Amino acid sequence: MNARGSLQWLRSRTLLVGSLIVLLSLALAACGRGKDPIHQTEILVFGTLVDITVWGVDDDTAQQATADVIKTLNDLHHRWHAWQPGPLTEINARLAKGESIALAPDQIEVIQGAQRLSRESGYLFNPAIGNLIALWGFHADDRPDDVPPPPGAAIERLVAAHPTMDDLRLDGDRLSSVNPAVQLDFGAYVKCYGVDRAIAILRKHGVENAIVNAGGDLRAIGRKGDRPWRIGIRDPRGTGILASIEVQGDESVFTSGDYERFFIWKGKRYHHIIDPRSGYSPDGAMSATVIYTGPEGGVGGGASTALMVAGPKEWLKVVGGMHLAQAMVIGADRTVYLTPTLAKRLHFEGEPKPRVIIGQP
Amino acid sequence: MSTRIALTRADWLAVILALALLPALYLRYWGDQGAATAVRISASGQPDITVPLSSNRRFTIHGPLGDSVIEISDDRVRFVSSPCRGKECVHSGWLAHAGELAACLPNGVMVSVLGRDRRYDSINY
Repeated sequence: MNARGSLQWLRSRTLLVGSLIVLLSLALAACGRGKDPIHQTEILVFGTLVDITVWGVDDDTAQQATADVIKTLNDLHHRWHAWQPGPLTEINARLAKGESIALAPDQIEVIQGAQRLSRESGYLFNPAIGNLIALWGFHADDRPDDVPPPPGAAIERLVAAHPTMDDLRLDGDRLSSVNPAVQLDFGAYVKCYGVDRAIAILRKHGVENAIVNAGGDLRAIGRKGDRPWRIGIRDPRGTGILASIEVQGDESVFTSGDYERFFIWKGKRYHHIIDPRSGYSPDGAMSATVIYTGPEGGVGGGASTALMVAGPKEWLKVVGGMHLAQAMVIGADRTVYLTPTLAKRLHFEGEPKPRVIIGQP
Repeated sequence: MSTRIALTRADWLAVILALALLPALYLRYWGDQGAATAVRISASGQPDITVPLSSNRRFTIHGPLGDSVIEISDDRVRFVSSPCRGKECVHSGWLAHAGELAACLPNGVMVSVLGRDRRYDSINY
């Protein structure tokens, strides 16, 4: 190549590189300049903090859909509240008296769904133990820290009454119980039901990409533009993030933990999830998470509760019984128990990485 | 023959445009994505309050149970006190990272740290 040739080569190369930089810059700047079509609403509703994220629809649609979701969650909150007077306390009052009560179709659906999940969980998820939850003082928005645990004899009495979902009888639309000790308290299961209803409403409004997060339990549909949704799973101790996972299509992430509602008495932590076999809150696990695709029916709430009760010793029985492909239990010693499918896609954040045990159901 | 490279007007335009766009691109793609910038205080039935995380201020929010006191100091925010019984909001301690939040559900008061971008779209807990 002679001098003239190399000069021309340089000149054309400069032009080429310069043009490429400009094109690339403009392309990237265009991505950045346009406001993300994302709408996020955080609101105290459903007895918790609900975070609704909607992507890819216009402002009006997002606002209308979100308002509709909030209204429905408010209704559900009243309909399924375990201690504020409403339809569920009415059902419980009748069952305690040995009477029957006529149910609406949605009530039948919720109760039958809970019966099925309870059986699949080996009765570790037991929404019939409302009396025990109340005895522990968790039928209050705000249990004081300085009230001691209930006396052992009272706990034993309620455990011995052995209320289960199988005690319920449905005759047409009339519900009764062969055991007057049955008191319904659906806990996380009804939260899951609410999240599923919320997603159905968003879809009805034409929303295809969204996350509904009710007090930490969430279902995500679609994706965030050209990438999956990124979900952080909080460390059961402190405010940090333990792990992250990318979800898309239609996936739910449900966690139950001993840090959600608890009190500490004489150095021991007591939380709102009660083992129906002992009457005490289980202490084998700090948190339990399930991730699943698609199906509705409150499975997330029932499964995460059952896994908390099962703890690291029995979690695989629940995984098998409830057909959970993706589950995680964080033991009291911070050991993380994972199913193989979840282990493949979960990314641990921060250092040091926890000890992981992969369990085959 | 001169070895100086002659740039055409188009070349200069290309280079200048590219250089001009660099700072914006740097901030967008290499900046601190989780940078916390502001605090939002929400209370049931009241308009939200949004203030910079860099301000040193105290807020007293009147809720159904009484007054929740929130302090912003040294780029952090916390519940100082709240009239609830469990005090879980106060136990949450200082929040400093984008996306973190603490709430006093009984008194209907929520504090969240806002940021330019969050590493996560939603947090499971």
